Amino acid sequence: MSFLFGRARTRTNVSDLPRQAREHVVKLDQGPQGAAKVEELAKVLSQMKQLLQGTHEQEASPEQHYQLVTGMIEEDLLYLLAINLYRLPFDSRKDTQVIFSYVFRFRPPNAPARAEPLALAYVVERRPQVLIELCKGYDHKESAQHAGTVLKELIKSSEAATAVILHDDGDEPGSSARGVGAIDRNRKQSGNGIFWSFFEWIDRGSFEVAADAFTTFRELLTKHKDLIPHYLQTNFDLFFSKYNSILIQSTSYVTKRQSIKLLGEILLDRSNYNVMTAYVDRGEHLKICMNLLRDDRKMVQYEGFHVFKVFVANPHKSVPVQKILLMNREKLLHFLSHFLEDRTDDEQFIDEREFLIKQIRNMPPTPVVPQR
Amino acid sequence: MADEGVANHYQVLEELGRGSFGVVYKGIDKTTGETVAIKHIDLESSEDDIQEIQQEISVLSTCASSYVTQYRASFLRGHKLWIVMEYLGGGSCLDLLKPGNFSEVHLAIVCRELLLGLDYLHAEGKIHRDIKAANVLLSEAGKVKLADFGVAAQLTHMKSQRNTFVGTPFWMAPEVIQQAGYDFKADIWSLGITAIELAVGEPPYANIHPMKVLFQIPKNPPPRLEGKFSREFKDFVAHCLIKDPAQRPTARDLLRHRFIRTAGRVEALQELIERKQMWDAKQDRVKLPVFYQETLHTMSPKDDDDEWVFETIKSVALPKNPMNVDTTPTKSRDPSRVRETEEGMRRVHVRDGPLQPSTPQTVRKATVRRQPSAAAAHQQRRLSTSTGSPRPPVAAAKRPLQTDMSFGNSGSTMRLFRRVPSDHEGPKIHQERPQEVANDENRPPSAMQTPIEPTSKEALLGRRLYNKAIEPALEELHAQTGPSQKREALANLSDAFADLDLVDPEGAYHLLRHLLSSISQDNRLSAALLNASKISPGQHLHRKSVDGTPQSKNRDLNQRPSTSAGVTHSQNILQTPSRSPQKPVLSASPTKLMISQQNTPLASPRPRRESVVAAPLSTPKPAAERTSSSRPSSVMATAPGTPIHQIQQPQLIQPTPSPQKKEPQLLQQHSAPSLQKKENPPPLQQQLSHPVLQQEKQRREASSQQLAQQLQQQQQAQLQQAAHRRKESSNSSSHQLPPPQHHQRRESSQSSHASSRSPEKQERVRESSSRELRERAALEAKYPGQPAVAGMEHCKALSDLLYARWTDGLQHRWGAVAGS
Repeated sequence: MSFLFGRARTRTNVSDLPRQAREHVVKLDQGPQGAAKVEELAKVLSQMKQLLQGTHEQEASPEQHYQLVTGMIEEDLLYLLAINLYRLPFDSRKDTQVIFSYVFRFRPPNAPARAEPLALAYVVERRPQVLIELCKGYDHKESAQHAGTVLKELIKSSEAATAVILHDDGDEPGSSARGVGAIDRNRKQSGNGIFWSFFEWIDRGSFEVAADAFTTFRELLTKHKDLIPHYLQTNFDLFFSKYNSILIQSTSYVTKRQSIKLLGEILLDRSNYNVMTAYVDRGEHLKICMNLLRDDRKMVQYEGFHVFKVFVANPHKSVPVQKILLMNREKLLHFLSHFLEDRTDDEQFIDEREFLIKQIRNMPPTPVVPQR
Repeated sequence: MADEGVANHYQVLEELGRGSFGVVYKGIDKTTGETVAIKHIDLESSEDDIQEIQQEISVLSTCASSYVTQYRASFLRGHKLWIVMEYLGGGSCLDLLKPGNFSEVHLAIVCRELLLGLDYLHAEGKIHRDIKAANVLLSEAGKVKLADFGVAAQLTHMKSQRNTFVGTPFWMAPEVIQQAGYDFKADIWSLGITAIELAVGEPPYANIHPMKVLFQIPKNPPPRLEGKFSREFKDFVAHCLIKDPAQRPTARDLLRHRFIRTAGRVEALQELIERKQMWDAKQDRVKLPVFYQETLHTMSPKDDDDEWVFETIKSVALPKNPMNVDTTPTKSRDPSRVRETEEGMRRVHVRDGPLQPSTPQTVRKATVRRQPSAAAAHQQRRLSTSTGSPRPPVAAAKRPLQTDMSFGNSGSTMRLFRRVPSDHEGPKIHQERPQEVANDENRPPSAMQTPIEPTSKEALLGRRLYNKAIEPALEELHAQTGPSQKREALANLSDAFADLDLVDPEGAYHLLRHLLSSISQDNRLSAALLNASKISPGQHLHRKSVDGTPQSKNRDLNQRPSTSAGVTHSQNILQTPSRSPQKPVLSASPTKLMISQQNTPLASPRPRRESVVAAPLSTPKPAAERTSSSRPSSVMATAPGTPIHQIQQPQLIQPTPSPQKKEPQLLQQHSAPSLQKKENPPPLQQQLSHPVLQQEKQRREASSQQLAQQLQQQQQAQLQQAAHRRKESSNSSSHQLPPPQHHQRRESSQSSHASSRSPEKQERVRESSSRELRERAALEAKYPGQPAVAGMEHCKALSDLLYARWTDGLQHRWGAVAGS
């Protein structure tokens, strides 16, 4: 397609493209005309992609990129595209994805190397709604994967992740709606923020949507050690009640298995020490976990085991946890001794299983108040 | 992921083929009547992250090209993932090769179509990475399509490169093998190899082991197409196989090549398909289509366990509790004891012999009471999956035919059964794991019958004999036996005795009587056996194992820390041989080391495949074992779950009650919590203050990189504080509860033990743990930023993969050779 615009034409075009795109996007809503606009928009998007991506023959120039990125910010095109992503045709969705990933990676040539990319800084500080709308891409099967790909790139940035996780409904003070700077990290979440929608997407979505949403969810929860521990402690009850009821008990095999695994990862992360101790103190958590061991799917049992071991290995088991373990001591000992017996080459697992058996066997006969 | 119903839109027909991770079926989309290919991937059998499969789907689903197999949908059905793709009736180019090599006419068409496909992919920022004849499919009309995106990569940036070592060796570009960073050009190389493959029947170096090929390809000059081929074709191949990726042309460049430009129409490829059909017909191999069958859910093997008990109500299940053993000696064939001491004795019938006259049904009823019936639970679960009911329903949907509602104890469907036989071959490799040996689920449940009520005096004696002597003895022996074969033999014997006892306790009595009389008639035997047993009842059981290691059970020691022989665990290499029997079993630092032991599993959240590194530290383990044996000695004595000593040692051969026996009884008088408090802090303090241990502690803290250490420190501090506090506050009271002599003896024995721990042992401990740390550090240096993955693991996975692909290829090829 590069033959379409010669060098001279390209220059004049660059700053114009975002404006054109905006005009088309805005008209998407307007009934029959919208359909025609879709094609024009597709063309513009394709040009923008070409410009950013370069072709095998032609490199893209930083000045053009700069013009395009600033143009998109001025026209609020990032937001508009994010909102309308699902209505775009197949190729335009892919083009948009490419455009987003280039734009959010772009640094002006003279900027310091460690500075945030231009568009990313803008979005995080001024327009977090772009991130929220990208998340909402999971509402539609069409846009889920494209929005998800962009999102996963973005949330590598701690600020962007903060904006997503601490988002809350409305313009209440402390929500991320006014940019990352205004966020109150100690505020308890109402449960209406965008982050809580992930539970629904993961549980209800079709396989593709759910799987992609889960990957993003996991990235959010595992990559930011400065953010997540505090967040989980602040919203402990809300988070884990949702996590347990929606994800761990999901009817979807994949959701269930992956979320058990993720739970184990969260609990065993060093930075989440306090979260872990709080989690394994609760008897009801142990009950859920013990039932996982009896799931009739082996991998669910296996993943469940890796959470269960935390309860048992905890040297300061709470009284409720001890009670449950003691009530089931004989059953557990028997059960564990035959647990996943065909995992014969997994030495780590076998050792851990042995260890748990030993721990349970050596528990005092009546619950002991943990010494802390 | 609520899309179970989608599967009903498809009618699944016969099997088309089997891949490495799934079966492909032909199917019909019921809504459109279109023929489709449906790949079933059993996620249960995939250890890998589901994300990897998801990656393939995401690459496929973003492709919309007539040169790439069209992705339709994917959805979950239970634990199977269905991927619906367009159906290509022509088969793969590898199949089409079977009747004979491709002519240049056909080859040019295939190459052009492949180039068009690659051009599309590359423009999309995707690299296929596994181009070969097997992955090129033809439609019935002759259209050529790229398939199998299992290792395809999506680049986020046009200029970005990849380093991952994937593909199939023969077709791999040199830069991929060298892992020097590669891009789209890698596919072009593979295309060149594929062209040779189609022209001569196999890729270059096909007769060489794939691992060797990996060295040949980067080292040798690029392969050339030899033989009577046209100059254009040879030139085309030569262009594809330029070693320097920068010099290698792109797909678009190659589309302008003379050889490609002169290529004909795809319809000509139908000749290849017809040729294959003819060839198939001549093979007169009757190929019966394998039709798809919905997996029948077998009845899961019953387990006598009911659900977990989460209520505090003491249900009728109580009889299972071995606390009753002593009070009802005649009926104390308590299976749970066997389990509890010996995990491996699967064959010891856990179901036989109800403890009380109460039947198993009542037991079940009692547990079921909390939840009217499992079926109802199922209903309830269906209705409200996400309500978070107090007893969360976890089991997957129960099958209507499943009568055993005992909460899905066993694994999924049929796999459990399938795998069992192979487990029987296990023992040779895994000596220390007895579970495998005694793992015969298909064994007839001979012992399901209820034990006969002993009526005669002999029978009563026989039962008593069994309960009091034979079974504990066997159990004890079994626990001490290391080698799995021996364990199995013992387990069998134990089974046999159990059977005998069930059916004919009288017989057991007579058997033993005869044995004893025969023994007493033989001088040497009676001297060896009968007299010895009178002397040291405890040691009678301490059998020497093969390696000459005195082995005994923890329980023993707990009972009489100062007298009896033995050490804790057979695997405990560090301590076993050198220990003198007089030494009490006390660990260096129970609390501390135990924590680190606990955290070995904890510290590495997902270390399953990294067993080399993440295997529990050799150092803390023995210590922790010692700990676990020593710490709760008082606890053990009172623990209802561990009453063995009460029946076992005293009754077995001991003529008079041993003085040691009083000890547990004394302890029993006090409530357990207070005992804990009494018992724990003093040893802890002592141990912490020991200089060697301090040193050890410092070393550990210094080198701590793990949660293990972190946890340890925190808890240590807490414990230390707690200990201090307790000591200060309850100094006076601390001597009230436990018998003073006992308390002091423990303390003194501890200190003597701690100081008598040989220095070289400490040294060894330290050495091994530091080696371990060094290894870990080396690994971390190797894979910075990643959790340490053992290098060998990585290599093994790779070579497994390569080997599998190689053998796959060979099978195909041998088929071809045999046919033509």
